[in-house]
Amino acid sequence: MLTFANVNSFYDRSHILHDVSLDIPTGQITAILGRNGTGKTTLLKTLMGLTDRSEGQIRLEGDDLAMLPTFRRARAGIAYVPQGREIIPDFTIRNNILMGAFARTDGKREIPPLVAELFPYLMQNLDRNGGVLSGGQQQQLAIARALAADPKIILLDEPNEGIQPSIVQEIEAIIVRLNRDLGLTVLLVEQNIPFVRRAAQRFAMMEKGRVVEAGAIGDLTDEMVHRHMAV
Amino acid sequence: MLEVLFIGLSLGSVLLLVALGLAITYGAMGVINMAHGEMVMVGAYVTVLSGIWLGANIFVAIPLAFIVTALLGLLIEKLVVRKLYGRLLDTLLATWGIAILIQQAVRLEFGLSFFGIHIEGLGPGLQNVAVPEFLQGAFSIGGAEINRYRAFIILVTAILALLTWLIMYRTPIGTQVRAIIRNPKMAAACGIDVERVNALTFAFGSGLAGIAGVMVSGFKTVFPDMGTPMVVDGFLVVVMGGVGSLLGSVFSAGILGEINGLVASVTNDILARAVVFGIVIAIIILKPKGLFALKGR
Repeated sequence: MLTFANVNSFYDRSHILHDVSLDIPTGQITAILGRNGTGKTTLLKTLMGLTDRSEGQIRLEGDDLAMLPTFRRARAGIAYVPQGREIIPDFTIRNNILMGAFARTDGKREIPPLVAELFPYLMQNLDRNGGVLSGGQQQQLAIARALAADPKIILLDEPNEGIQPSIVQEIEAIIVRLNRDLGLTVLLVEQNIPFVRRAAQRFAMMEKGRVVEAGAIGDLTDEMVHRHMAV
Repeated sequence: MLEVLFIGLSLGSVLLLVALGLAITYGAMGVINMAHGEMVMVGAYVTVLSGIWLGANIFVAIPLAFIVTALLGLLIEKLVVRKLYGRLLDTLLATWGIAILIQQAVRLEFGLSFFGIHIEGLGPGLQNVAVPEFLQGAFSIGGAEINRYRAFIILVTAILALLTWLIMYRTPIGTQVRAIIRNPKMAAACGIDVERVNALTFAFGSGLAGIAGVMVSGFKTVFPDMGTPMVVDGFLVVVMGGVGSLLGSVFSAGILGEINGLVASVTNDILARAVVFGIVIAIIILKPKGLFALKGR
């Protein structure tokens, strides 16, 4: 179980997250929903320790992460796939994937068999630069990098944003597979409600930096979606 | 002509040793380290002192200077620079202050001169280092008289540049440094201990500057202020080569060294320096990011 308790988070003097309390159960997909600018990305960044300052407790299986530096949180088993992917364009695909392995606590630096199985295209082009890949392929690379950390929890920030439709389905299938077959806990920021209803077991709805609704995915009503997500 | 090119190459070699450390620390950490020149000075004084007190020659001084200046660099990083990440101008001022502190520490013999105690080899005066006999004089290649000591400088620089390249491109720690240069937040999110890597990088860069100091001590007088022009030269190389680019530093150190050597051979050192400054200014105007700037980010 990953638990946020009264978490506040700040960029410089801007107060972005307000008293967020949320449980992310192990082995499930939890979707973070809400309009743009409501703090979904900040929630993930706060979990990684990438905002300027935060308060409150973030517990992973009882250990408080909130005071730890970013790399310790990564080594505690949280892997981050950010919005915009943030792969390194002039690193080879191999080195981009292996960057994730710095978070492994056993010191192994290898591409896991799972990555080879999920992303055959990447495996055939390991020595090409990450920058030559298309948006969808870069997204796959960012997921591969996260998996190289052998994580317990994977954070996905709008993994389907700006990606050609043919690859969207592929990435959706991979996310579901990571959870169902491998038992990975997934924290997913996503705008696509039909996909969320298919894939996720839990949801949390955000509005103005607060969690306003949370629960099992069956409790996500059309009325909630309309009230908090209609533009 | 060959002799002039060779002198230029040896000047470029010293520039490169100074600039490599700056290129990495400025690139990886966004720190302008004004105390970097003092690492050169400390390296030169390690050579002087190890000669006087240990009777050691320049070959002993190289590893010794590396260790002393790397530890000094580590100390500066831990005590001061670490607290100032993301505050470029503050790092400039703070490290400038450190530079003055180190200069005065050498000039005042760590304050002992107030008590009438003098350490031979320190103090405000000029010091000289004797180069081992077999590095003195010259040998000839194709009719050109090649100074042995300058050849030695080029050899040492080539070895250290190669070693630096191997560390940066063939080891996990080098990959971590390069990842931090490109995207420090994502590097941390991938489990890289950015603070620790930065501290080690800073120490390594300082150690290279210390070795540059050993090299310089063989052909220039050693005195407490000698580091100040070195850090300026180092930054010229870094800015011209492109921040964070090792290859850029190698090329621009070579080019600036050669220009300096060529102009000095037909006119004098002072005009050569003016020409070097002019060329760097022109390059910054035409290519503000340097010759080999990293793309992206």
